[in-house]
Amino acid sequence: MNLTDPERADAVAGEYVLGTLRGQARARFERLAHGDRRLSDAVHRWEERLLPLAEALRPVAPPSRVWVAILQRIRGKTETRAQSSPWSRVGSWRALALASLAAAFVLAVAVLMPAHERPQGTLVVVLAGQDTKPALIASVDRGGRSLTVKAIAPVALAADRALELWMLPDTGNPRSLGLVSAVAPTGIARITLPAAAEQALQNIPALAISLEPASGSPTGLPTGPVLYSGPVQRLY
Amino acid sequence: MATNPAQQLERNARLMELLARTALKDQRAFAELYRMTSPHLYAVALRILRDSPAAEEILQESFVNVWHHAGSYVAARSQPLTWLTSIVRNRCLDQLRRREVETVTVDDEEEGVTIAAEGPTPLEMLLAGADARAVKDCVDALDAGQKQAIALAFFHGLSHAELSQYLRQPLGTVKSWVRRGLERLRVCLDRAGVTR
Repeated sequence: MNLTDPERADAVAGEYVLGTLRGQARARFERLAHGDRRLSDAVHRWEERLLPLAEALRPVAPPSRVWVAILQRIRGKTETRAQSSPWSRVGSWRALALASLAAAFVLAVAVLMPAHERPQGTLVVVLAGQDTKPALIASVDRGGRSLTVKAIAPVALAADRALELWMLPDTGNPRSLGLVSAVAPTGIARITLPAAAEQALQNIPALAISLEPASGSPTGLPTGPVLYSGPVQRLY
Repeated sequence: MATNPAQQLERNARLMELLARTALKDQRAFAELYRMTSPHLYAVALRILRDSPAAEEILQESFVNVWHHAGSYVAARSQPLTWLTSIVRNRCLDQLRRREVETVTVDDEEEGVTIAAEGPTPLEMLLAGADARAVKDCVDALDAGQKQAIALAFFHGLSHAELSQYLRQPLGTVKSWVRRGLERLRVCLDRAGVTR
């Protein structure tokens, strides 16, 4: 790749931004442009020319798990100890898969329970922490408008913080179901569902609980670390 | 996203402010930045990678990167959405490059390039995007082959070889379509004052 000729260099920068510069040539150009003001300016001008064209694409709402995974990664760095957790790399995928194994186990146990002690819901969600150990069970009563969250392991919560429960739809952002702080340390929290939430829950693949300021998230999205998450299981 | 120039200015001013606050580790600002831009950026990644788990992964990586490096955004140098789009696109193209390296030993008999038929064609999108930037004339002025090759490369991340396969034209032909098309776009857009 001869980049000493300015016109040639500019043309290569154009193909780099367009995406047709590929393979080794792409990597090599990137390295060169990094330390070369003339090349990086050329790239920059091509970005200004071409990238606005991307605005023509119809926007697609990403699945809510993307935001949850981003939060886990940026909070994981600052708030938890610097252990290199595998979760931070694989995001929430793995966590959900493992939590669903845990859920299957808990459900198997639930079915073996005496009838009057079984969770009487149409929906059951086993919420597990990053250690994948089940910590909470959320259930919606059959035909009911209320959602119950029960702690099955101790849940720590500082006095000035709250726990907020979120629906994680397949597309679009997490949607709050409300605060469930009453589950700490080993209690039960009940939420009365607005009709819309009740209906929306039917198509929600997973729930999550995040740590928020005392009055709940100020942004309408989880802002604190996601402490627990789990897939929605339907019992019929 | 924004439909008229006034809205676009307002949106850009807001995005610049959010990026500045994100650089100061303001999580609320970061959440709003995500809300405003992720559907656009996800669409960009989905088109290029044609695979939603990979696009989710790239979106996630890009925003984690933005959280840590929002301070390196220079408002005087680029539009905020252009800056964010370049982060996402570069990661997507890198991933395509890695995929190519991984498969290069395997396929002698190349699979055909398939592109989802739903929605507007790359060509229509190219024109729609041009519309928004009042540079429709520049895109219009390209020859049909140039327009098509550039649209497919830009929106779908097709390489020269894939373009040649998809458009059923010799490699040399599509290469020159891309090269001449870009050159004409550059001259025309610079004359229209798009590049500073």
